[in-house]
Amino acid sequence: MSRYIIGSVLILTSILFLPYWVYVPVLFAGIVFFPFFWEGIFFSFLITALHGTGTGVLSLLTSPLTLAALVVLMILLPIKENLRNHV
Amino acid sequence: MKVNYLPKNRSRNPNSRRIVILVGIFILGAVAFPFLDGVIISIVSPVWKAENAVSRSLKKSFDLFGSQKALVEENASLREKILSLEAEAAALSGGRAEVEALLRLLGRKSAPSMVAAAVLTRPPQTPYDVIVIDAGANESIAIGSKVSLPEGPLVGLVSELFRESAKVQLFSADGQETNAVLERNNVPVILVGTGGGNFRMELPRETRVERGDRVLSLGLDSRHLATVGEISLKPTDSFKEVLAKSPTNIFALRFVFITP
Repeated sequence: MSRYIIGSVLILTSILFLPYWVYVPVLFAGIVFFPFFWEGIFFSFLITALHGTGTGVLSLLTSPLTLAALVVLMILLPIKENLRNHV
Repeated sequence: MKVNYLPKNRSRNPNSRRIVILVGIFILGAVAFPFLDGVIISIVSPVWKAENAVSRSLKKSFDLFGSQKALVEENASLREKILSLEAEAAALSGGRAEVEALLRLLGRKSAPSMVAAAVLTRPPQTPYDVIVIDAGANESIAIGSKVSLPEGPLVGLVSELFRESAKVQLFSADGQETNAVLERNNVPVILVGTGGGNFRMELPRETRVERGDRVLSLGLDSRHLATVGEISLKPTDSFKEVLAKSPTNIFALRFVFITP
């Protein structure tokens, strides 16, 4: 649990202060390494709200970053499940 | 007698519930974040201001140590200053003073009052060629207000407005189209942003253009928007592709002027 919180704080800090080529990989690393990291979607919305333009409902729904976070999370769910079953 | 109970019916795919939760969070976020946008920016702006102040003071204190590093940084800042002066000189070279004198004679005001603002975040922190400035609706700025450098060149337009801050979309943002004029022969062009302070435009094959030519904004007080860089022309094409770049380094923006 503490790793989860530290990871989330790290991602949040990188979103606020570091260049995008740091915080985008850090966000996806969080999505990959933490189990069911739904906060990844929240963080991708935060990135769009802080650093993007046009934060309407439609533009957020079609934002490449948020969509990518959702798709990666959905793809990783069965993969992680299978990995756990075979270990 | 031993009784075997059948296991309860379970969903065939245990992840389907999680997927529904994820999609729910996604839709909820898309609906909620447009309303939270201003609140988030107003919470984070003081943090960014503090970060800028701390990083500046840290830079100064580090300058005291390591003379070699100080020299390198001084060199970098002097180069930046040279670029800024070059941009200013380029802006003046187009006979701006003459135009202003002429406009004054005609009773047209070409230099309206401006608001100075500090840049809180800039690329590469923002991935979309957007900057956040520390002046907002309280400084009578409006959406669509022009944002320029202290040296003169225009860099973008205010795209989102909050009480004490605003977002500025740079003209070089990917896909952003800006009507402009190629100074050499007054040809109207459409500058298309490609991100990172770069632009692309297409010109008829016959139009003469050279590296270093200036692209100006439309209007009475034409301002420098971009400088022509690479020009590519294939023998079979009827148009030539011209790449241009912003007259300033957008990764080092510190202050801007806004025309309300």
